[in-house]
Amino acid sequence: MRLLTVGLSHRTAPVDLRERVDFARKDLDAALRLLAERNVVREFVILSTCNRAEIYAVGDGRPTADLLGRFLSEYHGVTHADVAAHLYVYEGDAAARHLFRVASGLDSLVVGEPQISGQVKTAYAAAADRGYTGALINRAFHCAFATAKRVRTETGLAEGAVSVSYAAIALARKILGDLQALDVLILGAGEMAKLTGVHLQARQVRQITVVSRTFDAADSLAQTLGGRAVAWSDLGRALTAADIVVSSTGAAEPILTRAQLKEAMRPRRGRPLFIMDIAVPRDVEPDAADIDQLFLYNIDDLQAIVQENMARRGDQVESSERIVSEEVARFAEWAQSREVVPTVVALRRRFESIRQAEITRLGPRLAGLPPEAHARLDEVTRLIVEKLLLTPTEQLKSVNDEALLAAYADALNALFRLAAEESDAQTPPSRPQAAS
Amino acid sequence: MHLMPLVLYTAAAAAYTMHFAWRDPRTGRLATALLASGALAHTFLIGMQTVQVGHAPLVGTTAAVSAFVWLLGLSYLYLELRTDERAMGPFVAVMLVALGIIPALDPTVSPRPPVLRSPLFTAHVVTMLFAYASFALAFVLGLTYVLLFKEIRAKQLGVFYARLPSLQMLDVMNARVVTIGWICLTLGIGIGAVWATQVQSSPDPRAQAMSIADPKILVALVCWVVYTFSLLARQAIGWSGRRAAWLSAIAFVIVLLNFVPVGYFLTKSHNF
Repeated sequence: MRLLTVGLSHRTAPVDLRERVDFARKDLDAALRLLAERNVVREFVILSTCNRAEIYAVGDGRPTADLLGRFLSEYHGVTHADVAAHLYVYEGDAAARHLFRVASGLDSLVVGEPQISGQVKTAYAAAADRGYTGALINRAFHCAFATAKRVRTETGLAEGAVSVSYAAIALARKILGDLQALDVLILGAGEMAKLTGVHLQARQVRQITVVSRTFDAADSLAQTLGGRAVAWSDLGRALTAADIVVSSTGAAEPILTRAQLKEAMRPRRGRPLFIMDIAVPRDVEPDAADIDQLFLYNIDDLQAIVQENMARRGDQVESSERIVSEEVARFAEWAQSREVVPTVVALRRRFESIRQAEITRLGPRLAGLPPEAHARLDEVTRLIVEKLLLTPTEQLKSVNDEALLAAYADALNALFRLAAEESDAQTPPSRPQAAS
Repeated sequence: MHLMPLVLYTAAAAAYTMHFAWRDPRTGRLATALLASGALAHTFLIGMQTVQVGHAPLVGTTAAVSAFVWLLGLSYLYLELRTDERAMGPFVAVMLVALGIIPALDPTVSPRPPVLRSPLFTAHVVTMLFAYASFALAFVLGLTYVLLFKEIRAKQLGVFYARLPSLQMLDVMNARVVTIGWICLTLGIGIGAVWATQVQSSPDPRAQAMSIADPKILVALVCWVVYTFSLLARQAIGWSGRRAAWLSAIAFVIVLLNFVPVGYFLTKSHNF
């Protein structure tokens, strides 16, 4: 039983196919339930984002992977041939490595993007809450979260905004501190103004004010953003009150002159103002940038920051991959030690049954002994069994070579007839409880 | 034993610098632990000196520098614990090392002349040193504000952008520590003035020299004027942000000049 990954992502599949196999778009709950009903695997997690659809499961290699691949295509009503060509399958350590890389943002379209780690957590929680995860999946995902955290804190992979809106918001935070205490003024009511406004609204800024040449357009955008619209004639007052100005009008000439801004800054008494001029052509006279406590960034400045951050992230990939490798090795060691658990359990059960049988056999002869002596006998025999098994158990757990481990397990099975013991006891060998 | 604080401050400065460069959280925690150990060792040293001479070791500029370093270390640790920000650590720790060398070179504790045997003297020195420690923190906050401000204005987001807290936070903290420092400075100067009038009749020539004409006292008053202006200007004409940062940086240079060179070579009233 090994960890398996079956799926497709932006690296293997075109967008139209990814759209068709998006679990999140349909109903993730239903997908989880259906997969459970198929009884293909006992432990599984479905991870579905706009860039990937993956099933993480515990199973027996290729045959299980094929069944999971079929489930993926059948559930979405896509012919298997269409999907199969774009599917990847990872097993064991490779599956763990893939999961750790995904959770850390190393496999993302925009390397180091922060959302994926949360999406992996949500996907895991959805499966775990419904009881579809077990020891191996639990361990793998918790290791993945730990890896993502290490990558985030020990490298600069997730640092620096890699989209213009994030770069602008990060800048606003660096200049003005907590966004929730800030007032935003949006100039213009076009698509760009709306997009940035939505981003700022999501960060719960204190108030959003919209000013546009046409009041109705401003009012409509203000309603969308839960803000208020102000007449164009009140622009000066709105400027004085704002902490952040997002300017994105379609004007051919600058609408905010240096003189106008200098005038607006005077009553602010040193309170800083951050202006993002994302309009092309620019809305703000460039020489306004030298006004004290005014921070002016235009679209090119923001794009330059994004470019630089992207380049810097690229430099961090190597150290992040090193962390992933360390964590995969740690996980593999645990997984390997876990593989000996069934053998150890069977061995212990065998010894215990011999002990019990002997005590029962000697029962009539020991009948005359007082209860304390019985208890003592039970304890001594149990201790002997424990001590006899201690060294072989430790030796087994310390084996790192998969082939050697299999040979040891086979030898123990044959020497102590463990398989017979297992079937006698009627315990399912496929789902041992891991000693973690 | 007297070198122990300096050794630990130096190790803390190295660890803070490494943490600033690579941002490894473990190095950051190590730096804090080293600085806390340095401050603890310094506390023991000051305690031992107090037991040795029977009074707080505050006589003379060297002892005052030692107590200043100790107070600055503790104040910074408090600030770090409150804000969970270590980016100012290298700047403060380097200052601790630079000034910590002075008492490390001359560990002898001066005996207390009769004129200084007054609780007013101790209160004066402690409040003044606390004011200086606050101004030292304001200096670091101001300096880092200017460095970050320049990066953001030049649109070259680099070393400081990635490491320092927001300009707003640096400015707010600066205003707070300058206010605390100003209160201590005002109290310190007031207590000093009362004490000076009390010892005017003393035969000690240094007590006789306590007047506004003495460079140490004059420059201390200049510092008070500068910090008072900085606080008033922030309230009245909006001199916050970059201007306040520059003011606190420049004002501390005056404080430092008054503390060390004037304290050692020019003053006739404070050369104990």
